[in-house]
Amino acid sequence: MRRLRTLPPRYWLVLVVVLFFIGLPTVIDSFLSGEWAQALVLAIAIMGLNILIGYSGQLSLGHGAFMALGAYTSAILAHRYKMDYLLTIPIAGLLTGVIGFLFGVPALRLSALYLALATFALAVVTPSLIKRPAELTGGVQGIVLLPPDPPQFAKDAFAAVTGTPMTTDQWTYYVTLAWALVLFWLAWNLVRHRAGRAMRALRDGEVAASASGVNIAGYKTLAFGISALYAGIAGSLFGLGSGFVSPDTFPVALSIQLLVGTVVGGLASIPGPLLGGIFAYFLPIESNQWIPTQTWIPAQIVSTVGKAGPAVTYGAVLILVMIFAPNGVVGLVTAGYTRLRRRLRGVPDRETGQMPPDHQTA
Amino acid sequence: MALLELEEVRAGYGPTSVLHGVSLAVPEGQIVSLLGANGAGKTTTLRSITGGVRWTGDIRFDGRSLRRMHTEDVVRLGIAHVPEGRGILTELTVDENLKLGSHLRRDGPAVRKDYDRVFEYFPVLRERRRLSASTLSGGEQQMLALARAFLMKPRLMLLDEPSLGLAPMIVRAIFEIIRTINGADRVAILLVEQNARLALDVSSEAYVLEVGRVAVRGASDELQGNESVRRSYLGY
Amino acid sequence: MQEFLQQVISGVASGGIFASLALALVLIYNAMGLVNFAQGEMAMMATFIAFTLITRGVSYWIAFPVTLAIAFAGGIAIQRIVIRPVERAPLLTLVIITLGLATLLNGLAGAIFGYVPRSFPSPFSVQTVDILGAFFSFRDLGVITVSAAVLLLIYLLLQRTTVGLTMRAAAHHAEASRLLGVRVSWMLALGWGLASAVGAVSGIMVAPIILLEPNMMQTIIIYAFAAAVLGGIESPLGAVIGGLIVGVTVNLAGAYLPFVGGDLQLAVALAIIIGVLVLKPNGLLGRPTVRRV
Repeated sequence: MRRLRTLPPRYWLVLVVVLFFIGLPTVIDSFLSGEWAQALVLAIAIMGLNILIGYSGQLSLGHGAFMALGAYTSAILAHRYKMDYLLTIPIAGLLTGVIGFLFGVPALRLSALYLALATFALAVVTPSLIKRPAELTGGVQGIVLLPPDPPQFAKDAFAAVTGTPMTTDQWTYYVTLAWALVLFWLAWNLVRHRAGRAMRALRDGEVAASASGVNIAGYKTLAFGISALYAGIAGSLFGLGSGFVSPDTFPVALSIQLLVGTVVGGLASIPGPLLGGIFAYFLPIESNQWIPTQTWIPAQIVSTVGKAGPAVTYGAVLILVMIFAPNGVVGLVTAGYTRLRRRLRGVPDRETGQMPPDHQTA
Repeated sequence: MALLELEEVRAGYGPTSVLHGVSLAVPEGQIVSLLGANGAGKTTTLRSITGGVRWTGDIRFDGRSLRRMHTEDVVRLGIAHVPEGRGILTELTVDENLKLGSHLRRDGPAVRKDYDRVFEYFPVLRERRRLSASTLSGGEQQMLALARAFLMKPRLMLLDEPSLGLAPMIVRAIFEIIRTINGADRVAILLVEQNARLALDVSSEAYVLEVGRVAVRGASDELQGNESVRRSYLGY
Repeated sequence: MQEFLQQVISGVASGGIFASLALALVLIYNAMGLVNFAQGEMAMMATFIAFTLITRGVSYWIAFPVTLAIAFAGGIAIQRIVIRPVERAPLLTLVIITLGLATLLNGLAGAIFGYVPRSFPSPFSVQTVDILGAFFSFRDLGVITVSAAVLLLIYLLLQRTTVGLTMRAAAHHAEASRLLGVRVSWMLALGWGLASAVGAVSGIMVAPIILLEPNMMQTIIIYAFAAAVLGGIESPLGAVIGGLIVGVTVNLAGAYLPFVGGDLQLAVALAIIIGVLVLKPNGLLGRPTVRRV
């Protein structure tokens, strides 16, 4: 019992957040649950990207491509081979993870800048690569998936709590949430233990890390593989939620969206991706709803401003965050919290797992 | 009022303090030596003058304080600094390096005359004009650095260890030219050197730095004549 | 044979466009060690500005240099406002900032000009001229001429003028240049201005071919990346050679390799990028760089 009381406040916060997410569909309408599911999907992908960028220091601008791979793997298995969709999710993740790992091998030879360049090129080319094997991927039209019907036990359980049986969107939400919880827990463990420390050593200085015996190549490729796995599962869950995959759902803007979420949430943090995912997903939607209400915007350009608005905001956010708050929201909060504690207690805080940005010159 | 004055200058790199209150003066047209062992702070002193390191206290050139000035603006006041390692732009040719020495000047005919003198002092530079500066030997690079500094037509030159790593014959040639530049063009020189004897031979005054402070100062010939100073501070 | 020549010339014209944008990338890389992911979007903006001028009645050959001047000023402004405050930040931070800039410019173009593709006037007619039995379009020849002229001007500026010399000095040896009185920070700004202007040429040349809209440079920048990487990211000459090779290769691949066709030409560029980076990361004319600890 004593151990419970001495758990740091962080753990209680996590519990509250988890309970919040479990209970959320019971208080919001079904459609909104579907939206939150998509936000969680982004959060999962961002968590993976975070491991790559924030912890192992490799910048990938092409994780949208891995999401596409995961989504299409699931879609093809479900649509052409009639596999149960839920079963396809781990398969898609594993396949994408392996491919990501293989990607990581030549990526070792590239400097950070070149890696960014190559992955950016990959992101731009992805839609045309998808269109080509049209027989397999459905070409330009993509693949339509039948929305899964929730299993009976889920319907009953939900009805017991809220009075109405669970809908497809809510079922999708819970599947996504389950995966998110598992993957976040996995990431947290990874970061805390030796692999995580090794990766952080990598990020702060490869030469020094190699001098202290860290197997750089191994960890870097591992990071690539893991981040790809996360993106693959996220892609698969994306397909589940939207019921449809096509080349146009994976443009380069998706990879930018993932980057924005990673950066806003905070590099090298665990809660960051969650905030980043929510931000990245809801921003365009909210702004699309908000813009038409702004009477000072002339009617004929409302739609273009609506379309352009998120891009402008994403761009501005990326710039401002990297200039003023490179550790993202979590960094700001942690820094503020740390300062508050210091002032209250007068003692230095334990390491929170938050890495400060490096101050090497370019 | 001397051309260059340092007053209680403290400087360092981050948390490490290297200079703990250095005061010195370089009179117009004179050569002043700055001597001392490795790590005494000689290079840091020069870097402070041209703004390569943060400093407190005061540094005045021609009466004007250099506080908070950017390196390039300090240099444009008329100070040429040949740093440790010579600062040769190895991506460029010998000619381009020289051109960078004279690029701020507006007096065309005088520049051409100075080029002639440079090639007179250092014929090898004329031979290698079009070649990449990276093909020059150590001694030749030192010559290029000096030539380039001379082309800037400075009122004050800061030379950081011009003899470092060079064969005695080349060193002698270089120091001859240093003497000539000072004599003919009245360029003041603050000369940092490990080779105290050489420095004292060519300079009129000397300061000896020890652990970031001026330990000894005086006229060069007096210091040369003083055996105990030579033994304890100058190593010979 | 004639058709082959036609495809080659067409490829050279594309190559000129890629080379201009690649040169812009190289200029900034040389100045800061940074790949400017916003270069394409900056060029796109400049092209929209040219479009606005032309549709307001300004003649093409006046709008062209005026746009370049505006692009030049814009590049300097971006460097002063966005890049300089974070000059000392780690490289990845700067990369992300350029990505943010690209996204921002794309959105601004969409908000101001809309997403409907427009046709952009070209001073060169699409007529073809018969040379030795092969038909070459005036447009291709015009693009080649203009690109060559611009690239030549840049070369002369960098290699034969004092300003060019100080820019090169500041790019390669910042500290040593300061000691020679070079205002390094302003040289950096000039580099951005010049890069922006050169990129604008690329945009104006390509707009008549692929229609003007905010996303138009997204594929061109990939070709430019391929060109810069192939030529050696620090070599201006490499950018030109790389551009020509990429242009011709992509064109020939599209014409003669059935599985490539029109839509996978971009994948050829990707293959070039990955191939070069894995096999010879310094490109054709680049030098191995020392890794800074």
